[in-house]
Amino acid sequence: MKTQITQEDNCLTACFIGRLDTAAAVQTAEDVKPLLEAANKEIVLDCSALEYISSSGLRIFLTIRKEAAAHGCKVIVRNINADIRQVFMMTGFISLFEIQ
Amino acid sequence: METLDFHCRLIMDEYREALPVLEDMKNTVLARLNDALGRSGLSVTAVEARVKTEESLAGKLVRKGNKYATLSDITDLVGARIITFYTDDVDRIASMAEKLFEIDWVNSVDKRRLHQLDSFGYNSLHYICRLPDCDFRFELQLRTTLQHAWAAINHDTGYKSGIEIPQEYMRRMNRLAGMLEMADDEFSRIRTELTDYRRRVQTLVQSGRLDDVMLDGDTFRSYLQVGSIDALNRRIAAINQAEIQDTPLSRFLKVFKALKCNTLGDLDRLIKQYGDDAYLLARHQLGNTDLDIISSAIGLQNICIVCILSTGGGKIGLERLFDALNGHNTQNGALAELTYEQAKNLPFMQNNK
Repeated sequence: MKTQITQEDNCLTACFIGRLDTAAAVQTAEDVKPLLEAANKEIVLDCSALEYISSSGLRIFLTIRKEAAAHGCKVIVRNINADIRQVFMMTGFISLFEIQ
Repeated sequence: METLDFHCRLIMDEYREALPVLEDMKNTVLARLNDALGRSGLSVTAVEARVKTEESLAGKLVRKGNKYATLSDITDLVGARIITFYTDDVDRIASMAEKLFEIDWVNSVDKRRLHQLDSFGYNSLHYICRLPDCDFRFELQLRTTLQHAWAAINHDTGYKSGIEIPQEYMRRMNRLAGMLEMADDEFSRIRTELTDYRRRVQTLVQSGRLDDVMLDGDTFRSYLQVGSIDALNRRIAAINQAEIQDTPLSRFLKVFKALKCNTLGDLDRLIKQYGDDAYLLARHQLGNTDLDIISSAIGLQNICIVCILSTGGGKIGLERLFDALNGHNTQNGALAELTYEQAKNLPFMQNNK
């Protein structure tokens, strides 16, 4: 599992590559820390290369959203595959994020 | 400064020496006010304080320097101001200030009470206060946002005394003051009536008279507090021993309105009718996963899904639901397709065939 963070203008994008399962969550939580410190920036969670997300992964997404909301920032989840969309749906979090 | 006489120049010297004390006093006053407001839970537009500038003091001394024997005779060297949303809050904060500071009643003035029956104009409550063991007094101004807007615009014209103001201009400003006084009273009345309405709704909800309560933002919130949705969420959470994350539920209001729920009674019946099937849908979806976190929106979301599918709304109905909940989005079609596929073999769909 890899997380790549890039910044362009006023937008921070995190690209998740691989499987965000319980084992990968500790490192990923560390990798996304720059997003939690970003004030007044739009945050994009690019899931084009994310194959799977577990509850631990969901918790990381929720933490990012909570911190972003505290700073008045927007979080967009982009390019999720059908399985991940299903996870968001089944857990009721689908309407919490802007999914594109 | 050239226009100041010897006496006034002495007061200016005294002022410069006292500046650090005045600055400390300003900070203490501001801290006490903020602390008291925080504890009271009262929400206000602004709490501000300032030490009078040298330029402003010189101007005052030019106009009425002979009135003051020493610097401590000037009561607004430190000025604090609280701007409230509602006119009722001015009086509540005034009584709070009476407990926080020693009030110089002789010099305090309620400008709201100074107007004749047929006159309107500057409205504000001015208290002259003192901190314990402090030589200087300070002025505390309390006014509403609308009174503040009037006073600030009036001040912006540059006139310091009513006499200088051209009659026509004064008449128009006073006309506006009258209109803003009416608006302030109306805002207060609306707040009082809304509070009464919410109390009445809570009583009706608690007594179970749900058919007497129209469904709106306030009543929806009251209904959610009753706990039938919490019970469904806890039941769903028990499937995987999941943690429930609180999420806003207000977006479901428009969906229930679209599902023809006009009263809380309609909503309650719909939730009771579809609650078990909403749970079955969740069990079917989550049962063979290890997902142990769910949103507090899950119960309402599944009730809406089951209601739409049970009444023949199909995939198009689901897509409209997701449009309403998530905003119009190209993903919603796929989401509807996926949800329909998951639900199609559940008992509530069999009844629909």
